[in-house]
Amino acid sequence: MALIRNLAAGIRALFRKEKANAELDEELRDYLDAAIAQKLEGGMSQKEARRAAGLEIGSPDAVREEVHAAGWESIVETFWQDFRFALRMLRKSPGFTTVAIATLALGIGATTAIFSVVNTVLLQPLPYKDAGRLVAIWGSNKARGYTLDLISVPDLLDWKSQNRVFESMGAATDEMYTLTGAGEPYGVIGYAFSPSFFDVLGVPPLLGRTFATDETQPGKSHVVVLNYRLWKTRFGADPGILGTNVFLDGQSYTVIGVMPRSFQYPESVMLWTPLTITPNAAKDRSMRWVRVMARLKPGVTMTQASAEMNTIAARLQAEYPTTNKDYSVTLESLRHLISGDVRTPLFVLLCSVCLVLLIACANIANLLLSRATARQREIAIRAALGASRFRVVRQFLTESILLSVIGGGLGLLVAYWGVGELVAMFPTTISNLSIPRVESIPIDRWVLGFALLVSVVTGLVFGLVPALRASRVSPDQSLKESGRTGAGGSQSKRFRNALVVAQVAFSLLLLTSAGLMIKSFLHLVRADLGFQPDQVLTMRVLLPSYKYKTPVQERSFGDEALSRIEALPGVKTAGTVTFLPLSGWWGTREVSIPGRPVDPQKMNPQPVWGSVSPGYFSAMRIPLLEGRSFTAQDSDTSAKVAIISATLARQLWPNQDPIGREVAIDGFDGARRVVGVVGDVYQLGLGAHESDASDVKTEVYVPFDQEPTHLLCFAIRTAGDPLSIAKAAQSQIWAIDKGQAVSFVESMDELAADSLALQKASVILLAIFAGLALMLASIGIYGVISYSASRRTHEIGIRIALGAHSSDVLRLVVGEGLILALAGVLLGIAGAFALTRFLSSLLYGVGAADPLTFLATALILLFVALIACYIPARRAMRVDPVVALRYE
Amino acid sequence: MIDKPSALVQGTLDMLILKTLALEPLHGWGIAQRIEQISRGVFQVNAGSLFPAFRRLERAGLIDGEWRATENNRRAKYYALTKQGRRKLEAETKEWTRQIAAITRILEAQG
Repeated sequence: MALIRNLAAGIRALFRKEKANAELDEELRDYLDAAIAQKLEGGMSQKEARRAAGLEIGSPDAVREEVHAAGWESIVETFWQDFRFALRMLRKSPGFTTVAIATLALGIGATTAIFSVVNTVLLQPLPYKDAGRLVAIWGSNKARGYTLDLISVPDLLDWKSQNRVFESMGAATDEMYTLTGAGEPYGVIGYAFSPSFFDVLGVPPLLGRTFATDETQPGKSHVVVLNYRLWKTRFGADPGILGTNVFLDGQSYTVIGVMPRSFQYPESVMLWTPLTITPNAAKDRSMRWVRVMARLKPGVTMTQASAEMNTIAARLQAEYPTTNKDYSVTLESLRHLISGDVRTPLFVLLCSVCLVLLIACANIANLLLSRATARQREIAIRAALGASRFRVVRQFLTESILLSVIGGGLGLLVAYWGVGELVAMFPTTISNLSIPRVESIPIDRWVLGFALLVSVVTGLVFGLVPALRASRVSPDQSLKESGRTGAGGSQSKRFRNALVVAQVAFSLLLLTSAGLMIKSFLHLVRADLGFQPDQVLTMRVLLPSYKYKTPVQERSFGDEALSRIEALPGVKTAGTVTFLPLSGWWGTREVSIPGRPVDPQKMNPQPVWGSVSPGYFSAMRIPLLEGRSFTAQDSDTSAKVAIISATLARQLWPNQDPIGREVAIDGFDGARRVVGVVGDVYQLGLGAHESDASDVKTEVYVPFDQEPTHLLCFAIRTAGDPLSIAKAAQSQIWAIDKGQAVSFVESMDELAADSLALQKASVILLAIFAGLALMLASIGIYGVISYSASRRTHEIGIRIALGAHSSDVLRLVVGEGLILALAGVLLGIAGAFALTRFLSSLLYGVGAADPLTFLATALILLFVALIACYIPARRAMRVDPVVALRYE
Repeated sequence: MIDKPSALVQGTLDMLILKTLALEPLHGWGIAQRIEQISRGVFQVNAGSLFPAFRRLERAGLIDGEWRATENNRRAKYYALTKQGRRKLEAETKEWTRQIAAITRILEAQG
């Protein structure tokens, strides 16, 4: 109540100032009259009484001021005064104002743009109920080198019944379907959810319902929940879709629900079906095939949950040693699961852009210091008239914050333009990394708030020291002295020098980081992935199991498709593989020598397997190192053969010839003879992975004719542009089977580029920031040196008059700047040594302390500093001693 | 020593104004006079601190100002205690008495 009254009265006083003042005047007059009247009664004369009363009360103006200061509105009024004065001051020096605002707009704009990405990707709440409590649970087998393994159903059931930390748990597995009956046949990735999975995520459907508990039973399980995008694009957002049937792999499923647009777990999935568990899968602990998501009970931390789950896992290890030996549990937050691979790059970028802003602040602080020196008389007069130091500081800070807020406002425009460019940083096609699908980066209230906060803080950062410096003026001193020589002082100079050193150091830090990232990126681009991605068209085909029931059918489809495609004009050679490298799809199998137990340490990670047609290696240009490739003679009826990659060969038979030896591949019957060794292929691309799946490069291949698969990825090497034959290649598939879905028709180059898209974006941005930093730092050095040289005109004049050569003057001025730059470089190198190791997870093929990069960036900076000093030095060299001496 | 008017103990002016107004509404001059009279000239308040105090108390809702005619038919702003002001005065008085008693005890114990 009191607060509101106080506010209301203050606002009234602000807006009806005249009236408030008039009332106070009347009250004061009344007081004076009463005092006089009393004195008259006491026997004083009219004149004496007036004088005495006046003395007692003092100056009515002073009283008025004090009454005024008692209300909060006076602060607002002073601020308003300061604000108008600041505007006048800025308008009076348009050059300074323009440079400062432009610098700030760029700095704050870039910072805001990067923050808006962080906001969208890492800070915005995930569209699930209490998403902070959602945790993915993975199997972990350190001995074998996995930390993110799938889970067996019996293990899951034991976890469910024994744990006290989770509210609920759900299981899921991915499925691929061919959707027919709604336009062209369409290959969709679906997820089979246990009914509890929707409850774990806690999002109700937009239409209809999710799965009932009994819908996992055979006969009831042909129900499907659609995602929003599929409902919209394939079914015209028809609200009457509930209860209708769609065809998945030729079987009829009843649509029972549609999920809202925001619900997209996992990202690439279009529909959900109930998870059915075969009796065998329900018992077998070695069948690890489901993904588990769980919801923590309120108040339970990840650490507690992890401890509890690992206790249970240890119990299961003891109870079931044959299947559960070495198996523990890894917990991963949903947020990390969705955007784990983008955290470090974003963090690095945000830090870098903040450094750029700091460097910009140093430049503006420098400009403000020069201005403060020029304004010393003004400040002295203010101080002489009774302005307190606090009052002067406040006025200066109002000016700098006004600057930074205007800069921030323009910066928002920069950011608005910038986020448009940044969206491209997240191509929706990146399939080999945990990167959220980002369709837009909104400038929301958080971003606006951030921009405002950064603007104000920036204003304080660059304004505070100049303001404190400027206000430390003794009025008599500086009023007496002529404005020129008295200003500055050694302290102020030391501060400027410190600013320049800091700028150089920060720039070096950024340049070094950018240099390391560029070097790493060049390594990645030039790195041999184990195949040649140029001029290869790829497409993926999943043969629906209802149509292709036998291996014979699959084999004949594969053979016919390949011979048709190879006959196309412009096609050099074509092949198929189960999992295309860089596609984000892969499968691993244990490979061993028959009769010899596997040493898990040596087989870490497990090799990627692939069932390939004979032409695959030549289509991908995977080099054959030893032995022979598969041929048409390696058929169903001939001896079982395999080809292994070079690293796997070394792991299995160190220093021995692998050709002709036998291997056993988990999941395939019998032993196979190794007929060839091919080069390693980086199945998941290079670098950038936080997970342990990185740099998988051991492979085992079997002939497609011996082990046909439902999934066929085509690799088609072309003579010209691979995409030019995309249509023709698809039609060849449809010529065999009109209802067959063909998906991911793209060139291998695109896949390779997408797999590096995040690194590329990081490198480009970091290089831009480093360039900005370099530019700002050189402006900073230039400003300080030319200021210092101009202040020393008199001294230089004397030196020249006494016979100094222009080269002496050059050395004098450039030397001053170079010493500062050198100090900055040394500090920067020390800082970079300490900090670049945070980059190491992002670097490929280059150490975080790469001496060449460090040396190169130091030289670049010193060279730029030299140029920045040379310009003022030349001006100083041309000083005419007569003019310089007469000047004072 | 007592002849010379003392400066007010910090923060007590507000309390004295409230106390003065507890009897009847008064205008500025009247309040100043009353404080001087009651304290037998020990405290002398000047306009420079009195008026800001009025503004403060008014804002805090402890007193209410109203323009009225004086005895000799002039317009003057009369201040009256609000209900809240009365409560505040009681609380302050109690606190003050408690403190004075405590201080007195300490001083006497040492004497």
